[in-house]
Amino acid sequence: MLKQEEGSQAVAHAVAMCRPEVICAYPISPQTHIVEGLSDRVRRGDLSPCEFVSVESEFAAMSVAIGASAAGARAYTATASQGLLYMAEALYNASGLGLPIVMTVANRAIGAPINIWNDHSDSMSQRDSGWIQLYAESNQEALDLHVQAFKLAEELSLPVMVCVDGFILTHAFERVDLPAQEQVDAFLPAFEPRQMLDPADPVTIGAMVGPEAYFEVKYLMHAKQLDALDRIPRIASEFEEAFGRSSGGLVRGYRTEDAETIVVALGSVLGTIEDVVDELREQGVKIGALGIKCFRPYPLDEVRAALARAGRVIVLEKAWAIGVGGIVGQNVRLALSGLPVSVHDVIAGLGGRPITKRSLRALFADALADRLGPLSFLDLKRDVVERELERQTAGGRPGPHAENILKELGVVAARSH
Amino acid sequence: MSSKPFAITLDVGSSLANKTGSWRTERAVYVDRMPPCNHACPAGENIQGWLYEAEEGGDGYERAWRRLVEDNPFPAIMGRVCYHPCESACNRGQLDEAVGIHSVERFLGDEAIRRGWRLERAAEPSGKRVLVVGAGPSGLSAAYHLARLGHDVTIHESGPMAGGMMRFGIPRYRLPRDVLDAEVQRILDLGVRLELDKKVTDVESAMREGGFDAAFLAVGAHLSKRAYIPAGESAHVLDAVSLLRSMEEGEPPRLGRRVAVYGGGNTAMDVARTARRLGAEEAVVVYRRTRERMPAHDFEVEEAEEEGVLMRWLSTIKEAGDGRIVVERMQLDESGFPQPTGELEELEADSVVLALGQDTDLSLLDGVSGIEVEDGVVKVGPDMMTGHEGIFAGGDMVPDERTVTVGVGHGKRAARHIDGWLRAAPYDPGPRPELASFDMLNTWYYADAPRTEQPMLEAARRQGTFDEVVAGLDDANALFEARRCLSCGNCFSCDNCYGVCPDNAVLKLGEPGERYAIDLDYCKGCGICVAECPSGAIRMEPETI
Repeated sequence: MLKQEEGSQAVAHAVAMCRPEVICAYPISPQTHIVEGLSDRVRRGDLSPCEFVSVESEFAAMSVAIGASAAGARAYTATASQGLLYMAEALYNASGLGLPIVMTVANRAIGAPINIWNDHSDSMSQRDSGWIQLYAESNQEALDLHVQAFKLAEELSLPVMVCVDGFILTHAFERVDLPAQEQVDAFLPAFEPRQMLDPADPVTIGAMVGPEAYFEVKYLMHAKQLDALDRIPRIASEFEEAFGRSSGGLVRGYRTEDAETIVVALGSVLGTIEDVVDELREQGVKIGALGIKCFRPYPLDEVRAALARAGRVIVLEKAWAIGVGGIVGQNVRLALSGLPVSVHDVIAGLGGRPITKRSLRALFADALADRLGPLSFLDLKRDVVERELERQTAGGRPGPHAENILKELGVVAARSH
Repeated sequence: MSSKPFAITLDVGSSLANKTGSWRTERAVYVDRMPPCNHACPAGENIQGWLYEAEEGGDGYERAWRRLVEDNPFPAIMGRVCYHPCESACNRGQLDEAVGIHSVERFLGDEAIRRGWRLERAAEPSGKRVLVVGAGPSGLSAAYHLARLGHDVTIHESGPMAGGMMRFGIPRYRLPRDVLDAEVQRILDLGVRLELDKKVTDVESAMREGGFDAAFLAVGAHLSKRAYIPAGESAHVLDAVSLLRSMEEGEPPRLGRRVAVYGGGNTAMDVARTARRLGAEEAVVVYRRTRERMPAHDFEVEEAEEEGVLMRWLSTIKEAGDGRIVVERMQLDESGFPQPTGELEELEADSVVLALGQDTDLSLLDGVSGIEVEDGVVKVGPDMMTGHEGIFAGGDMVPDERTVTVGVGHGKRAARHIDGWLRAAPYDPGPRPELASFDMLNTWYYADAPRTEQPMLEAARRQGTFDEVVAGLDDANALFEARRCLSCGNCFSCDNCYGVCPDNAVLKLGEPGERYAIDLDYCKGCGICVAECPSGAIRMEPETI
């Protein structure tokens, strides 16, 4: 059914169609509308049987999901930013125990300074937690990925994180095709737990394991992730067959066939990049884009194959390994090792700073003219940074950066663009 | 197992293999501390214990009553006339207001009368005979306990009716006589013989003649103290004891329109209030000190004032004459003692009632060896025995506070020691447990609950009648009041310890009321149960290694 719908409500619809039996969540912007939508459905009885557990923290949310999943229930939760960090310990438990929990991360920056707007710092910080990470490009894809995520999680018995850009997707109204219950039921089989706590057949789940077995368990997690590299494209094509549209998969190229320059990115910024690619193509520039849909497991071969023929790769990313450079960039370089491809990391859009077509045009022009270094920062206010660095070396008590910068910019309080 | 995840799904095991009790340096121990109400009760009632039963309502009321009468056979009387030191001591008083212990006690007593609950003679007959002299609160209490312990008890009472000061001292608007009669009768139903109008003049010969093995004396203090007041021929001067006594036997006295009562104790209030009920237009209490220094209880003074009784502080009566008295104004000196000022004033008064305290008639002990009398009262040991082997004494005739409850307590204590003495197995009550003070409670766990006030007869309706002033609670609000009890120092099966123990080391021993035990294999000695016990019924004790 086609509908003009907010991203969060579309995700809530998709999750509800997947018939989760336990939903536990603690509200945090920009995830809130998703769980509100779900709690409404549970309250009204539209989603039944389902237990909605209002918890006191994200740590509790993930812990309840772990308990529910171990008891054989299909479990779902959602979070963002500091909330994801707060549940970090439990994330590792969920993946280590191999519990097929599905979680939405409404991507948001991490404090300090506190900031509620979008970037990928939160989910990137948990990229090695053993969870599968899928990144949605649009509201439609956000919705579709959840349906696929439950299937993937339960086939592998691994938890899956669906990353949806906060506000840009979660709060945007777009036309979406909402799947019907019968369609989802036909696509997603009932949950058959790989392991289950059952008083009639008692077992212990997740007790202490010593040096004799710990390593092997971790290797098995790795093996499962590699297995996912085969399953994700298969599930995406099954989805396309059932629903008549393409969503998900490992990577997706856009006008890459003869591209000499390829821009790599994750999530919603791909739309803007593709618009600029189109403009440049009209000018005869051989440029394309590559969306990485699944960042964990990392589709090394697919990325290598997609980029191997390009001479120049620009990795535009909304997170940053501070003190090193791009995170996605490092992974791209790994995929391209041994190939004569120059890789340029560009950090962009942190804390919700808009990534505009104009900025991208200028960035790509620099790249095409070989003016781009291995690491650059899109629209970073260099003058502000220089002056603040100067102030810090001037002695005395210079005060916090954030306050100084706001004062200099004449901003009374931080506000949205 | 092979189909399940490797090294994640494991065979059934249990952390019980890890006996964390070995980490302990202190252990939690359940205790029964002394609740402050019990500690303060002159009759030695287990108030917390019977409130615990009453908190259940229904059948719990009878269990509560039975527990109460183990110590005191007069719940209906006590709930009316006791000055309830238990409530002054009640820890709840530091939280909001003390539990209305007396009102619940009265409710239980009235229920017992209404439903005809009977007392049981507990022990096998001992074959021993005990003489009780005086059928007042102390004598009746001793007779009751002795009878329940299996002894053959006879009471010799000099007066025409049982009850002592409960009948001849406390006016019926505070203690209706049907209530008194019912609770006395229940004791007689145990087989206690009561011989009225039988004054004992020589206790040794009375014991000899009746073949008694021991005696308990509780003759009270029925002789009014006198003060020298120069009085004219026609002056009408009476004493409080005779006045209150005449209310019960024979004709009420004629007091006239204006009555002056001399004294500041509870008896003075009783007399003034009685005078108002007998039709006196004016009843004035003349007292030589200030209200703050008055021995009468506040509530008695307040109720008297509500009924129109006038108070004249810092005054002594110098002279009584025909229809008038002369009073002198007093002034407190630095030590708080009243000193005359020489300022005289005349007041109209048709009669003067002296309520200056009472003395005791100890003539029955004349010539008895070993008896020591000091300040007009008989010395007794902690076992209530006088200096004469086998003769015990209690109530107003021994040195202590003179209240019904104290008398009842003496009777109980004496009975237990008489029993021990008769059986040549001295009674040992054991050491008193540690007091459960307010700081031992975790009051956060108790709900707010304001005290239930008992309905009062309107002041305007009290003047012409001896109807009871204070009414009782009903089933519902008695239950509410009982449930306000904090159960200080004693477990009330709230399950808090069971819930908070991080090691699941608290074991339930059965149904609620059957309490808990600490599983020392797992108790790490963290003390959370102690900190979170609402009633302070758990204590940490160091391990001895």
